[in-house]
Amino acid sequence: MNLINEKVIDDYVNKFNFKHMLIFPAILLAVSLLILTYTAITTPTHTPVELGMEFQGGTAITFDSSKTPDQLREEFSTYPVVQAREYGGGNRKLLQFGPMKESDLSDITNKINSEYTNIEIRQMGEVVSKALQGQTLQAILFSFLGMALVVFIIFRTFVPSIAVVISAFADIAFAAAMMDVFGIVLSLGTVAALLMLIGYSVDTDILLTTRLLKRKGELGDKIKDAMKTGMTMTLTTLAALTALFLVSSGSYLVSTFTRIDIIRDISVVLIFGLIADIINTWMTNVGILKWYLEKGRTTEKRVEKPKKRRQTA
Amino acid sequence: MNDEEPIYKKPRVLLLLIIILASIALMTISYKNGTVNVGSNLKYGLDLEGGSWLQLQLQGAIIQVNADEKKIIQTEFGKLLNDPSIKIEETTLTSITFTTSKQTTQKIIDDFGFGKSTISQAPGGGTRISLQTDAASVIQKYLENNLNAEIVRIPGNILTFEVRQTVTQDELNALLQPVDGKVNSFKVGVSANTRDETKDILETKLNSLGIKEIPVRTVGDNYILIDLAGVDITTAKDIAAKPGKFEIRIQVKDNETEHVLYGTDITPGLPAKEKGDVWGVSFTLNDAGAAALRDAAIQYGAVTNPSAHNLIMLLDENVVFDAPLSPDLARNIQSVPVKNMVATTGTGDEGQRKATELQIHLRAGALPVKVDVVGAGQVSAELGSKFKLQILIAGIIALILVAIVVSARYKQPNIVIPMLSTSFSEVVTILGFTVLIGFQLDLPTIAGIIAVIGTGIDHLIIITDEVLAGGAMPPDKVYRSRLTKAFAIIFSAAATVLVAMSPLLIMGFGALKGFAVITIVGVLIGVFIARPAYAEVIQGMLVEDTGKTFVDEE
Repeated sequence: MNLINEKVIDDYVNKFNFKHMLIFPAILLAVSLLILTYTAITTPTHTPVELGMEFQGGTAITFDSSKTPDQLREEFSTYPVVQAREYGGGNRKLLQFGPMKESDLSDITNKINSEYTNIEIRQMGEVVSKALQGQTLQAILFSFLGMALVVFIIFRTFVPSIAVVISAFADIAFAAAMMDVFGIVLSLGTVAALLMLIGYSVDTDILLTTRLLKRKGELGDKIKDAMKTGMTMTLTTLAALTALFLVSSGSYLVSTFTRIDIIRDISVVLIFGLIADIINTWMTNVGILKWYLEKGRTTEKRVEKPKKRRQTA
Repeated sequence: MNDEEPIYKKPRVLLLLIIILASIALMTISYKNGTVNVGSNLKYGLDLEGGSWLQLQLQGAIIQVNADEKKIIQTEFGKLLNDPSIKIEETTLTSITFTTSKQTTQKIIDDFGFGKSTISQAPGGGTRISLQTDAASVIQKYLENNLNAEIVRIPGNILTFEVRQTVTQDELNALLQPVDGKVNSFKVGVSANTRDETKDILETKLNSLGIKEIPVRTVGDNYILIDLAGVDITTAKDIAAKPGKFEIRIQVKDNETEHVLYGTDITPGLPAKEKGDVWGVSFTLNDAGAAALRDAAIQYGAVTNPSAHNLIMLLDENVVFDAPLSPDLARNIQSVPVKNMVATTGTGDEGQRKATELQIHLRAGALPVKVDVVGAGQVSAELGSKFKLQILIAGIIALILVAIVVSARYKQPNIVIPMLSTSFSEVVTILGFTVLIGFQLDLPTIAGIIAVIGTGIDHLIIITDEVLAGGAMPPDKVYRSRLTKAFAIIFSAAATVLVAMSPLLIMGFGALKGFAVITIVGVLIGVFIARPAYAEVIQGMLVEDTGKTFVDEE
């Protein structure tokens, strides 16, 4: 079994020119941004990604019950039920309540704790959840700008640096758009995953850029080599994340499994992000770098040669 | 390269081996009461062990305000004396003198609480009153009266108060506007001192309830997180959040009450049948409390007319007990401060229930500020163990899948085995580290470990590909230069991860701190310890395998 098919990579690098390389990711980014904008317009909270309970306030309770969601909704109809639904297969149910009096809440938790099993309860006050919204926005901005700064410090040249930053931005935009498409809401877990993605998705871009800028050799060969390494990296990570996603998704695979939100949230966002990363590293970033290096080829040779002698001496 | 040196003697490999052994020791060996025990030392978080957590917000604000103390005196004493034309005569640093057309006594003025007074007849009729007070105290008293809250002055050059109650800037401005004042600075929260005091009281209280080793953590200046293992959410709230601010007030007239003492001055006894079928709770006041109660009883006339001056016990501003002093007590208290008292709660089961409840409230002691439950959670023990098993399975499957992918790419066991062992050693080291710093393994932390393993494998792939660029192990000198290049990429990649994750250290009121800390620590361990060792290992492993001829660098 060959993980990396060298012929495919050869064909890809030889046949595509950078203009073709940039069209597909550009369309993908545009679609991602459209989805995010559409969500921002249509959701009641006017956010590009739908906000989960942690960001809106309220109480979410998951437990095992053979009752249908409708029966549960009926059973708790005197309280502000926001949603009642199946949760990760099997008998697992989710009940979500809006903000309510502390005494009502303890009635509910008492009832659930005495009548059902495998209970998980999460309660978030409105004030804190509002504060969390602001914090999250700040955290994502800070994280992204920090990453961009580090990239600029590493490469010290504008075009290669901005290429990495654009690729990372496109990865995050795609992952967030896929959250909207698949109905994954913003939770503490997905925020952690988005921040993780900001730092993580540039790994392959840094590898590519370093190899192309600092190694000697024919450009096409360098891209091929970088691609072999980078694809191995992304595939191993995707393999691990897929395992996490499947095991944490619920009883679809094994009947005794139950859904583990935070693990599922993190793995699913990273999976989408890394799929986008394959496209954005090996099309967007390669495209921009190819254009940049081919344009500056003549000047670069003059600069590079004396350096090489010094190194090998 | 020194061919005679075995792999395990290379310094970086040796360092990693020592750290792995130390980590395993940390995880498995514990020493207690003179005996060495072998067993898992890993601590699990509530989401894996079962239990509840509470996030408490301390209600309060730190404010800087200004106001015209003369206006305050005019408004407040105007209301008291029913005189809209109070005239300020003189203000000094330590006194304020004013005149009113109404007649009054020193007692009435002193009781109003703005300061000790001297009273004389004003030259043009009416009363001339001189209060021993200063501007800061006047403003403080004004806020106290109108917010019905405890106001604490924070030492410093600028006049700063801590309002120990929920209040908004708008409310304060509305209050200060009539006395020519405004809020200059407003910050929700309490001082670090107040926060720590609250934390200590909570800790003591929870320990006194027989719940040991409760991690009570503070986040910022106004949040406290409490983990309660093996307790459901309702019980957790009852025992941790409900006990709040206990206060005894005395009825002045009708609905007006005055503060007498806080719960800190009280030591409660046990609920018991006091006389016949009447239940009650005895409690003891300390000297300050007894004196405060005596002063209040005398000052407001409870001594002579107890039935018109009930003692009111409040918990978080809710009345939990409201009854007059017994006639006997009223008589006694006039001559000596009474320290031992009984609050009776009624007869029968109802009386007993109320007595038990009151005793809990009394024991709750006083938190200096009111706390609100702003977040809470519960994972039942059976669900926690399900999570634990499932996450273990997920980890094993992930490791197997990674092994398959890496084997498919490299095929050589002397690359694949060191790679997977290095990765596994990173897991062991991180786990050992969590034991060392007493960190709990909760779901976010485990997610962090998995994330670190993901980046770790990636970095090992970078090292491998960079070093083996020509298809085989190069001579030592070229190997070094390639390794430097590989590490340049790895350090850059690690730096972006560290920077991107750092906001999580403070975000989310600590909810994702575990994830952030573990990711950051894990990346550092990987970059500085495990991956350099891996580089040395594969150099040693591959040196014999130079069947392929070395291809020149360029």
